Amino acid sequence: MTFTQVVINSIVRASELALLSLGLTIVYDILRFANFAHTEFAVVGVYLALFLNITLGLHIIPAVIFASVATGIFSILVDRAVFKKMRNTSGIIIMVTSLGLAIALRHTISAIWGADAQNYSIALQRPIVTEYFRITPLQIWIILVGLAAMFVFHLLLHHTKLGKAMRASSDNPELAQASGIATEKIITYVWFIAITFASLGGILIGMETYILPYMGFAIIVPVFCATIMGGIGNPYGAMLGALVLSFAENFGLYINFGKIINLGGVLDFSKDIFVPTGYKPAISFVMLILVLLIRPRGILGRKKES
Amino acid sequence: MLRLENVHKSFGGIVALHGVSFHVEPRSITGLIGPNGSGKSTSFNVISGFYSKDRGEIYFQGKKIEDIEPYKIAMTGIGRTFQISEVPEKMTVVENLLLAPKNQFGEGVLNVFLHPLKIKKEQDEHIKKVYEILELIQLYDLRNEYAGNLSGGQKKLLSLGTILMSDPTLILLDEPTAGVNPTLIKDLIVAIKNLRDEKGKTILLVEHNMKVISEICDKVIVLDYGKKIAEGTPEEIQRNEKVLEAYLSGSSKRE
Amino acid sequence: MGLINFLVYLAIMMGIYGILSLSLNLQYGFAGLANFGQVAFFCLGAYVSTIVVLTFDMPFIFGLLGGMTVAGVFGYVIAIPTADLKEDYWAIVTLAAAEIVRIFFLNEDWVVGGGPYVGGSFGIGGIPQPLRALFSAHTYPFFYLTIVLVCLLITYTIINKITQSPFGRVLKSFREGGDNLPQAMGKNVKKFRVKVMAIGGSFGGLAGCLWAHFHGFISPDQFMPLETFIVWAMVIVGGKANNKGAILGAVVIMIFYNSTRFLKDYIPVEAVTLASLRMVAIGILIVVAMLFMKEGFIKEKKVLY
Repeated sequence: MTFTQVVINSIVRASELALLSLGLTIVYDILRFANFAHTEFAVVGVYLALFLNITLGLHIIPAVIFASVATGIFSILVDRAVFKKMRNTSGIIIMVTSLGLAIALRHTISAIWGADAQNYSIALQRPIVTEYFRITPLQIWIILVGLAAMFVFHLLLHHTKLGKAMRASSDNPELAQASGIATEKIITYVWFIAITFASLGGILIGMETYILPYMGFAIIVPVFCATIMGGIGNPYGAMLGALVLSFAENFGLYINFGKIINLGGVLDFSKDIFVPTGYKPAISFVMLILVLLIRPRGILGRKKES
Repeated sequence: MLRLENVHKSFGGIVALHGVSFHVEPRSITGLIGPNGSGKSTSFNVISGFYSKDRGEIYFQGKKIEDIEPYKIAMTGIGRTFQISEVPEKMTVVENLLLAPKNQFGEGVLNVFLHPLKIKKEQDEHIKKVYEILELIQLYDLRNEYAGNLSGGQKKLLSLGTILMSDPTLILLDEPTAGVNPTLIKDLIVAIKNLRDEKGKTILLVEHNMKVISEICDKVIVLDYGKKIAEGTPEEIQRNEKVLEAYLSGSSKRE
Repeated sequence: MGLINFLVYLAIMMGIYGILSLSLNLQYGFAGLANFGQVAFFCLGAYVSTIVVLTFDMPFIFGLLGGMTVAGVFGYVIAIPTADLKEDYWAIVTLAAAEIVRIFFLNEDWVVGGGPYVGGSFGIGGIPQPLRALFSAHTYPFFYLTIVLVCLLITYTIINKITQSPFGRVLKSFREGGDNLPQAMGKNVKKFRVKVMAIGGSFGGLAGCLWAHFHGFISPDQFMPLETFIVWAMVIVGGKANNKGAILGAVVIMIFYNSTRFLKDYIPVEAVTLASLRMVAIGILIVVAMLFMKEGFIKEKKVLY
């Protein structure tokens, strides 16, 4: 594995993660709670796309689009049914509720589709191989889609009335409500955007690897970590956090700590020390702990006065 | 008893305390007044350790207060109330009062099992004191009510009650009469004076009610924009031009 | 499984989960610590006890003590840097910590005791049941049930005494997240939180140890975050901040969870699917409980004077 390959892997992973962490951060910002069902919504989108693509035979691109949008709408319904009644409840109660929701969603999916790994029907990937790296067309698409989505979000946030309202609500929720910016309407749009993006992110992961019912759980810690690292409530922070985390994960496995201890020959230390691949999830956990202990507001977060 | 020397505190770009210096004599009631945003609550928070000061020194009973956690400062004998009531809602009035004494033997987990009799004795003594205080603050009938169900004024009384239970040397009262009904304010005034006269306590209070200030304060310190602009007896302060100006002009400039 | 055997099995599960529930109730119901990683203590207790008994060839009681100690220490160590974090950060941290524990046991496949025990993703089998030789196969479960019930009683007594003491009173004062008042009263809030995690942790470890020695086989996929959520369902449904409620919650959820076993004779659905549907039901139950029954079956007892 070369340095360049690690960089490419990181960028691909970051593109996927960013879509998920972006969604998490905007919901967190406007509703003030950590949605533990976030990644499970994404998995709903993944399996919906699978259904459209494999069972109904739809081409992958319309399947992806339709599934993401449908899941976005689904999240609005869930919000109406469950979270709307909890607008003023304490954080822990809503968190536990989202936990229950996550369990219900995940196991409904595994009840319907079973626990076996599945795949979308996409063209066989022929990687582009060079001396330093290999990359598949799909991976290139993932990076492009990720970038496009983030660009679209940026346009939305800064060049639309909705975006302006979202930013206002984020900065000062009481003032926004008082000045007539209909907060419930914004909440609806935020859910839709967040979960559509999250589904897209999940689908891209599913395309690149496998589709499994527990994939939502597999990424929940990295997604939360990226979100928190970037600063909760800051969409650009979420993208940055995804980038930082992906690089940390991939380089964490790539770096030979033995060589570092060796200090380039100064110390007589010749063992190779790598982080075992089985511990990859531990990297995001360690990063999360470090961020929370050193700079809880994240890289781009605002300082909260007591 | 308490001395602040050149204390500075900023939040981001906003300077809350701009080199504040004042002192509080033992066994006295000192008022701390000023327009909104002048730095009164910030001073309280800095003294009690909830904010850390940027610069300056604070001395309590001659000893410098280091930058330590609020609970440690409380243990040295400084007690305070909060402007916005912080009482735990799902605990009853009695439970709140029982919480207040410091260094309770029963607060050590092992002690609960190794020394149950000692703890029972300690708790019985505390209960006796609780009943006395309930009479004083007139909350006896509400003693088993959840603190969350009390009115704003009643919560203020409860805060005063916990101060009495914890028996501090220096007492910081943050707007003790706000929201309290006028007849009760009279009783509060008596209780506060009593703390000074019969218990020998030192009291620093933030108040907006000038009548209360005139009636009970030995000395008044006036802050404006984070600086001390005047100091003296209540009568002197009410005649002070700078003070009048601060209150008149301040209210149009601030939020 | 014969009916009597099944009922004994069910009772043992209720006892073990009752201990887990009491432990989580102490952390969340009384101290406001939203521990989404409760399964970590369960896992540590199970594995450490197994290792003590199999690798070091020690009697069951040492396995029990070892499991409880390690789990308690883990709770203590995790709490020290993180105890004052906001509740949602704390939740994700504990969730992640529990995963690390599980991943650790998944990756480290120590050959235990040099025998047929494997470890890692294969799990560890052949865990001896204490005093098995003294009983017949038919009567042993009753003996084990007695052990579990004794442990449950001890756990209940200890935790109840703690929550009713001045120590417990301090916990209630900062449980909603308002640290200011307790601090102003001279209470070292962080120290209390750390102690609660150590105590809660050791009882979680106790449950894990009882589980391991009953089942005879442990593996990492028995300790997924799902277990934590089941315990949460128990605490919430039974009634938070009420110790009897915690046990009641364990009973109710366990009945619910196991009742569907019988349904498979009547519903033409595969066992695997049914297992998933059971979990769906639990998830929905949590959501419904949070919406309509936040206080659970048994409300918190008001302390009267």
